[in-house]
Parts: sequence; structure tokens; C-alpha cells
Amino acid sequence: MAERILVEPDLKFIKDLGILGGDDLKKCYQCATCSVACPISPDNKPFPRKEMIASSWGLKDKVVKSADPWLCHNCGDCSTRCPRKAKPADVLAAIRAQAIVEYSRPRWLAEAVNDPKKLPILIAIPVALFLVVGSITGLLNFKPDLSGGIAHYKFFSTWLVDMHMVPAMLFAVTVLALGLKRFVGDIHQNALAEGKTDQQTIEVAGFVQAVIRVIPTILTHKKFSECTENKDRYIAHFLTFWSFVGLFIVTSVIFLVLYGSYLLPTGPLHGPWAQINPIKWLANISGIALIVGTGMMIKSRLNKPDQKSAYKDWFLIGIAFGLGLTGMLTELTRIAGWAPVTFAMYFLHLICIFFLIAYLPFTKLAHLAYRTAAMVYSEYAGRKFVK
Amino acid sequence: MNKKYGVYICEGCGIGESLNIEKLSEVAEDEGYAVKTCPALCGKAGVELLQKEVAGGVNTLVLAACSPRVLYDTFRFDGCIVERVNLREQVVWSHPRATWPAPTEAQKDDETFIDHVQMMASDYLMMALAKVKKIDLPTAFKLETLCRKILVIGGGITGISAALDAAKAGYEVTIAEKEPALGGNAAKWRKQLPTEYPYEKSMAPVIQAKIKELGSFPNIQVKTATVVARIAGQPGDFTVTFKKPGEKIEFDVPFPLPPEMKVDESGKELESEKLHARYLEYNQGRQDILTFDPNGEKFGAVVLAAGWRPYQPQENEYAHLGFGITPDVVTNAQFEQIAAAGKIKRPSDGKEAKSVVFIQSPGQGGDQDFPYAGSVTSLVALKQAKYVREDYADGKAYIIYQHMRTPGLTENFYKAVQQDPGVFLTKGQVTQVAPNGAGLIVNADDTLLGQPIQIKADIVVLATGMVPATKDDPVINLAYRQGPGFRDNALFNDYADSNYICFPSETQRTGIYAAGAIRRSLSTEESMEDATGAALKAIQCLESVNRGVSVHPRSGDLTFPDFFFQRCTQCKRCTQECPFGALDDDERGTPKTNPTRCRRCGTCMGACPERIINFANYSIDSISSMVKAIKVPSTDDFDEPPLRVLGLICENDAYPALDIAALNRLSWNADVRFVPVRCLGSVNVIWIKDALSKGMDGVFLMGCKHGDDYQCHFVKGSELADIRVRKIGEALSSLALEPERVAQFQVAIDEYDKIPQMVQGFVGTIEGLGPNPFKGF
Repeated sequence: MAERILVEPDLKFIKDLGILGGDDLKKCYQCATCSVACPISPDNKPFPRKEMIASSWGLKDKVVKSADPWLCHNCGDCSTRCPRKAKPADVLAAIRAQAIVEYSRPRWLAEAVNDPKKLPILIAIPVALFLVVGSITGLLNFKPDLSGGIAHYKFFSTWLVDMHMVPAMLFAVTVLALGLKRFVGDIHQNALAEGKTDQQTIEVAGFVQAVIRVIPTILTHKKFSECTENKDRYIAHFLTFWSFVGLFIVTSVIFLVLYGSYLLPTGPLHGPWAQINPIKWLANISGIALIVGTGMMIKSRLNKPDQKSAYKDWFLIGIAFGLGLTGMLTELTRIAGWAPVTFAMYFLHLICIFFLIAYLPFTKLAHLAYRTAAMVYSEYAGRKFVK
Repeated sequence: MNKKYGVYICEGCGIGESLNIEKLSEVAEDEGYAVKTCPALCGKAGVELLQKEVAGGVNTLVLAACSPRVLYDTFRFDGCIVERVNLREQVVWSHPRATWPAPTEAQKDDETFIDHVQMMASDYLMMALAKVKKIDLPTAFKLETLCRKILVIGGGITGISAALDAAKAGYEVTIAEKEPALGGNAAKWRKQLPTEYPYEKSMAPVIQAKIKELGSFPNIQVKTATVVARIAGQPGDFTVTFKKPGEKIEFDVPFPLPPEMKVDESGKELESEKLHARYLEYNQGRQDILTFDPNGEKFGAVVLAAGWRPYQPQENEYAHLGFGITPDVVTNAQFEQIAAAGKIKRPSDGKEAKSVVFIQSPGQGGDQDFPYAGSVTSLVALKQAKYVREDYADGKAYIIYQHMRTPGLTENFYKAVQQDPGVFLTKGQVTQVAPNGAGLIVNADDTLLGQPIQIKADIVVLATGMVPATKDDPVINLAYRQGPGFRDNALFNDYADSNYICFPSETQRTGIYAAGAIRRSLSTEESMEDATGAALKAIQCLESVNRGVSVHPRSGDLTFPDFFFQRCTQCKRCTQECPFGALDDDERGTPKTNPTRCRRCGTCMGACPERIINFANYSIDSISSMVKAIKVPSTDDFDEPPLRVLGLICENDAYPALDIAALNRLSWNADVRFVPVRCLGSVNVIWIKDALSKGMDGVFLMGCKHGDDYQCHFVKGSELADIRVRKIGEALSSLALEPERVAQFQVAIDEYDKIPQMVQGFVGTIEGLGPNPFKGF
């Protein structure tokens, strides 16, 4: 018998979930159709029915500090079958967004990312940084010498890029790491309290083994293929995921080559790289995959009446789609020889990258950390998430 | 009436193929009747034939064709007696020749061949011929003076709505309200449940607008601070005495003696004279029911809309919920008062109450709701939860229920309230409410949250129900010999109901129609709708009485019981057994008829040991004659004569069920003959004796279910028949006849498929007993 809990509903939490896309939450009348439809619902805990009532009762800790909402891949089977149109899938998405806000610091930045009114400020930060730092250091040159062909580093120095992106990345990693630490601690406590695990403590070796077991699931998107209602999301997310992997590899290689080449007597090797270079192939393929993947996401979100698309969703899709689009346009306009246009595109592209990296722990993209952690934890704790 | 008979046999729908029509015609012709046959009596040629016959002076028609339950308009000839012989359903369809073969060419003249189906058809024809000889066309009973005014008892939302509806239909109405002002409970609320689409928001109570509307109807008279001392007389001619509440007057209605006063010290029933003396003593200072108040007001029909009072729990009844222990645990009615007075404050210290828990079921193991609760108590909890949210932006309202009943469009209200972020709903069992500092703490188990919960509350509200006014007091105070109130309200959880599925608004007293919360816990909207129903029923009553016909359920029946008083022995059985209290008796016990109270079921006819009560077209003699017309074969006729069993069939459910069984081509034993009766209550035991003394081997009665969830259209008929059949069993034993030869079966109309087994089972029992030893005497 579970312990008697003192119920103290958090009204603000209910309202926040509404803003984050869960505004149909209260329509739930606990029929448990969602739990029957859900491919990951365990036999002994009706998921997501429990999450629905806990959040409609404003029991924030019960849902935000739980791994379960992160095990959902938003396949939408529950929302399609819900007789009350309470959209459990969107509620779970809102819970996850709320968890990201909860675990990331500084809190104001997390709230700003979810607030459309703060978007101009978020844009102004990289623009101001680039302009101010670029002007002071002289690394931003609006009238570069293009006699050797268009090269973006002449307009926006790679030093200037990395002067921002490397600290941004360190910031993001730190924020995520701190958040994850609290998150894993909380979900473990929750699992203990609700009897979801028999592991009393988190043992490092076992946890690492769980990571290894979960990684193939993530790489193959196996969970997505269990969806019936939103099968198209599998392709879209798969493309987007792997394009990011590809672009990460490309960026890492370029980064290493660039700074490594400073040691060469011939001096640093700047882009653009030749089109026949395999790394360039990977970059182009990834860029196109990103545009196609995110484009599919946009299309499917516009066409789905029973799925809510909140600001948080458009925010991330917007960045990712913008990233791909500005990246490819930067390349194409460079080849076309339209110097001012390609520089402008590059500038926008860099803003997108800054958004992606610096705001990562606060956007929906943070799911790559939290979801992985939740999946690993569940695997470790014996919820037998990976079938 | 000078009868001119005509017998018409239809050959359609398989009758002609199955039966030897020529032989059947001879049966009537041998009795001296003119017989005509027709390929299809309901066809153009058939109807024209009948019309020609009627024009030629035939006024008593025996139509041997289909069930009297079909084509009654086709075969209706005003001013004529029309008797239908149900050959199609009861003979041909239910007795296929494959099972009961027709005689072959060789067997045609074989005297020893038993043609069961043909015998059955000729019996039914003979029974009809016997009946039409004994019946007459009814003449209507008309009151000397008819009053068309409607009295509405209760000036709440139901009474006012009923009055408005009746007034709009052109009737004069008087509202009697016991309080000094109109409005009743509906005037005491902050808001009421929605009455209009989209049914999402509670609204300002409509009662004030309704009260105002009364003013525009000059045909509505309002008497406040007035109660009914007595209602005497009968529908169309009630004499009503009003009085101030609490007053004692000579026309206060006398009450029957309570059971404990009807016996002496040793528990023996008192003699009738002594009883009467005690009765007079018990009701000293009150006029007898047969004395009419010369100053009384006349009314034609009554709508009882006396409403309800909030249920007040007994001391310690809900101690586990803290009721009576802390003032912060209140009933929903008390909470409504708090809400109506302003912002919701805690009763104990006046602090703002921002957390309110609404408990819908008392718990303690069961899942039953509070007494007298219903869907309205669910809806009221939702409404009151919104009060908390309206008063405080950070207010929280919790509803813990076992049943959340929001029928019909009120589901929209539930959905709308549920959508409020500060309203929390869960099924669950509240185990305890205990003080917690200045506030309360509520413990609940088995909640949807998956674990036991605790909630801090400022106020706890119990969803107690609506107690009908008739629980405390008869209210209508009828000057009827059977007593001033309705009987059997306990069967309906104390509500003044009759048989709520089949006959809403109707009570066990003709001319008195119940509406609103007196019938069931109802919302304002439901009460208003209910009021319309009762108002229409009252009008139906007046307009039926006006034409001298029965109101319901035998709507339009012109007959009424006729008493041959010279032979009355004043046994009072008819007065006591009438399910509708239609008869009053004087001090000697002679019944006084009140034909407009009567529903024409014939229970009095079944009760009368002297058999002096009859209807023009339904009498002891007419049914006896039918029974005697059944040919009972004996060993003189056949070596092994078939059995003969009589079935007395209630017209309301059992007879249609038989027709449905036949329509579905179900079969039953061919040795049984059916006689339809108005109600099993009208079955006089003489018919059973007639059948058995004629040599029939068994008799069964088939009618509606009786008991607590009775389905009898006349409330008591099948129950009384059951008692009488059991008594006749004792009499049979004394005649050396087995009591098993008489039985009673209960059927509902949808149980038609069980009828063949019932009949077969009974015939099987009789076969086991062997033939009636009186056969052939």
C-alpha cells in the first residue's frame, strides 16, 4: 500500500502546462483509454492516465520529477483515441517542457525561452555580442578582401565564431550536467517512492551498462517505430537526429583541422572546403537531411488537428529548420558569388548556431539529455523499457 | 339494446389454409347466427361488407380474424358491439399444422380423430358468441357539475411552472403555498444550474422571473401561508378546505386508525363497531370524510408540487465526517446559504474559505450516496465548487465522489466545471474528516490518484439529498376512506411516485398529479419539465372526466363499475382493495362510488364475494359465460380426451406478449383456452370455480409482476390475485382437488419467449395430476 500523501495542488503549474500546450489537460475523466492505447504503458501503472490526473490535480513533483513522461515518444496514439480530446500526448510534452524549465539554471533564461515576448531579447544577445565583440576585436570585417574568392572567415573570423561558440557550449554542457544530476536524483527518489524500482542506490557500473544497452535503441529510433498514429514522425525525427550527428562530425573535423593546421608551416586551412571532399559530402547530405527532416515536422504539425503545437515546439523546429536553411543558402549564395547575400546568410546561420548551443539546456532540444537519462535510468532500474 | 348479430370469419393471414372454415361457420350457424366469410376482412371488400352489414342493422359483430390489438380503427364501428376472435395469433400462427396435423381426406369423417386446432378455433368462436350475448354498450358517467379549476399545492419552482403551463392552456389555477412568500427552495440560492444550451454555466435563479410572470395571468390565484386541510370528492368535483398552517379546524382530514389501535390488549382484532368507536374517538373534532365542507372551494384536479426539504443528518450519523462535531462540516444546503450570504467564509471563525472539499458519498465501506441524493446532488457539488473559484482566484475545490451523475446535456456543465484549473475531481472513499489546527483534514482512500490522499480543507460539504415533503406529512390530506396520503411511498424511497417508468406524474390517486422534487431529487430544469407533465396530466384528467371516460391507463374507457347495492353485505372488501381509493364507505360499510376516481381495472369486481359489481361490457356473467362456452371433451367423446386448461390473461402485458409470441411463431399447448381480463385484480374466483366444476383440468392466471418492483398497471391487481389464488387453493383441497390445479404466472411484455414453457410446464403438472375427477358431471 502506497503511503498517504498530502495533496496540495499547484495552480500555477496547471496554468503553465496550459501555456506549454497542455491546456486540454483538465478534460480528462480518467477512462484510461490512453493507457490501453499506449505501447509503453506497463501493466501495473496506468500510464499516462496517472500522469493525467496528477497534473490535473497540480501535483507537480509527481510528474516533473518522474522519468516516465520522458519515456513517451509522443507517438500520439493516446491523443487520437482520447474520447474527451484531452490530448495526453501534448500534456506529457508540456510536462517535459516544464521539467526542462525546472532543472535548468538560470531559471529566467528557461522562462524566456518559453515566452514569445522575450524572443527579441534572445535574438539581441548573439547579435549584440557578435557586433560588439567583433567591432572591438576587429574580427568582424564588413569590407573583406575577396580577391581569392568568397571566404566567410574573411567576413566573420573563425576566432570570433569560436570565441562565442566554445564558451556557449561549455555553458550548455555545465547547465545540462547540473540539471541532469538533480534530475536523476529526483527520478530515483520518485521511483523509490512509487515502487517502480528495487534498486536502492544508483550504482555507477550498472548505470554505465544501462547506457550501453540503451544507445542502440536511440540510434535506431526503435521506440518511434512502435508508433501507429504518427508513423511519419519516425522518418522526420530520424533524419533530423542523424543530420545533427552528421553536422556534429563535420563541425568537429573542421574544428580540429582548422586549429591543427595552425601548427602547419603553410598556415591555417580555412574553408570553404572542396566539394569533392568526403567531409563536404557529409556536410551537404546532413544539411539537406536537416531541412527535409524539419520540413516534414513543420508539415506534420500543421496538418495534425489532434496534436497541439505550442510555442516551445515552433521555437525548436524554427531554429533547426533555420539552421539548415541558412547553412545551405550560405553555401549556395557563396557559389553564386553573391558576397553580401552570403555574408548576411552566414551571420543568420551563426545566430541559429548560437541559439542552438547556448539555449540548448532550456529548449525542447534538452530532451536529448533528459530523455536519454530517463531511458537509461529506467533500463537500469528494471522498468524493462527496452524490450 | 336490441342486438342484431353478425358473425364474420376472415380467411386471410393463413387462417383459411389452416382451418376448415366451413366447419367453423357451422359452429355459429348451428347456434342460429348468420355467418359470412371473407378472404381478407381488413381489405377493401371486407370492410365494405362490414359497413354494409352495419348499415343493414347489424349492431353486434363477432369478427373472427386477428388479435384485437391490431387494426382496431379498421374494425371500429361506433354504436356497435365489436367482439374480436383472435384466430390468427392465438390459433393459427401459434399452432402450425406441422405439429397439430389437419385431418386427411380419409380422417375427415372419422369421429375419433382429434383436430386440436379446429377445436380451439371453434371454442374461441363460441366463447365470443357467449360473451356478446351478455354485454352491453356502455354509457358515459357524467358529473352533475364539473369544475375545471386546477389546484397546485406548492408555490416553488415546480408549482409555479405547473400553474403557468395550465394557465397558458386556458385553465383557472390556484396555487396554495404554505410559506408566507412564493419561491420555495429555489429562491434561496446564489445561483442555479443551467436551464439553457450550452448548459455550461450556472445562472441567476429563474424563480423571481417566474413569480413575476404569474402576475400577468389573471386566471392564476395565489394563496400564501395556506395549506390544504382536506380534499374531498372526486376528480372534476373536488371540495377543498384550506387553512393556515398549524391551525386546527373541523375539516381537518380524519386519519385511519394506526395498526396498533385496531387490536385489543391481547392483540386480537377488534369488532367493527368497536373499531368505529375508536376511530371516532381518534378523530374527535374532525368531520367525517363524507361530510363536505359547505364553504369548501371546488377544484377539478390537483397538481402536488409540495417540494422538498434538505436532508438533515441525525446526530452522530456522519461522525466520521465530522458532521455535528465541527461547524465547518456542513450540508450542501447549508453551504448554499453561506454562499448566498456573500463570500464563502468558514462558519467557525469567519476566515476566508479557500479550500473546500465536497463529499458525495458517506463511505464506510459501501459506495452508496447520501440519502435522497441523485444526479442533482452531483450537479450541485459542481455548481458550488465554482462558487469557491469565483470568490477566490487561489481557491481550490475538491469533489470526492462514488458517482458523478450528469445525465443528458448536464454533461456539458460537468465538462465546463472540470475545465477550471482549481476544481479537482476524483472518485474515492472518504474515510475521515478531522480537525487540523483551525481547519480540517480530509482522508480519502481508493482515489484515482493511485494512493490514499489527505487534503487540507477550510470547509467540508456533504452532498445530502432532498427529502420529499410527503415523507413528513400527507400534504394532500385526501378525505378518502383509505387514508389521507399515498400508500406505498416506501417502495419509492419515500418519494410520492406511482410507477415512474410507465406512468410519470400519475399517483395512486386519480386526479392528483405529482411533480418536481416530491417525486425524485430533481434540478430546477427537471422540475420545470416535470411540472409541464403534471399540468398536462391534470388537463387530461379534466377533459376525460368531462367526457365521462377513464383517464388512465384505460384512457377513453366509457365503462365504470355498477353496484347492485340491494345485495351488498357491507363487507368493505371493495373499499379496502381498490388500489386507487376510489370507494368510500359510510359508517355501515356500504360503499360510496366515486366513478371519476375509478380507473376501471375491475379489482372491486374481483374482490366482491356477492358478485354485485359489474361493467357494461365486462362482467362476472360475461366471463363466466365464456368459460362455460369452452367445450370440455370427456370419455364420451374420445377414448383419450384431451385436457382443457383455462388461462385468464391480463390484457396489459400478458396478452400482448402472447400476440408477440405468436408473431414470432412460438407455439404453446393446444389444450389451453385464454380469456383476456382487464387486470388479474378483476379475476373473481367464481370463474375458477366455474371452470373446475365444468370439468376443466386446471386454471392459471397470467399477469404482471407484483412485489416491490411491481409492474401491474393497476398497482395492486396481480398481488391481490396472488392472495386470492392462494386462498382458493385451500378451498380446492376441501373438495379433494389438488391446489396445484390453480396457479399464477408473472410475465413482462418482453418475456414473450418464456410463455410457451410456462404454459407447457403448467399443462405438464396437470397431466401429472390426471384429469379433473369432476369431468363429465
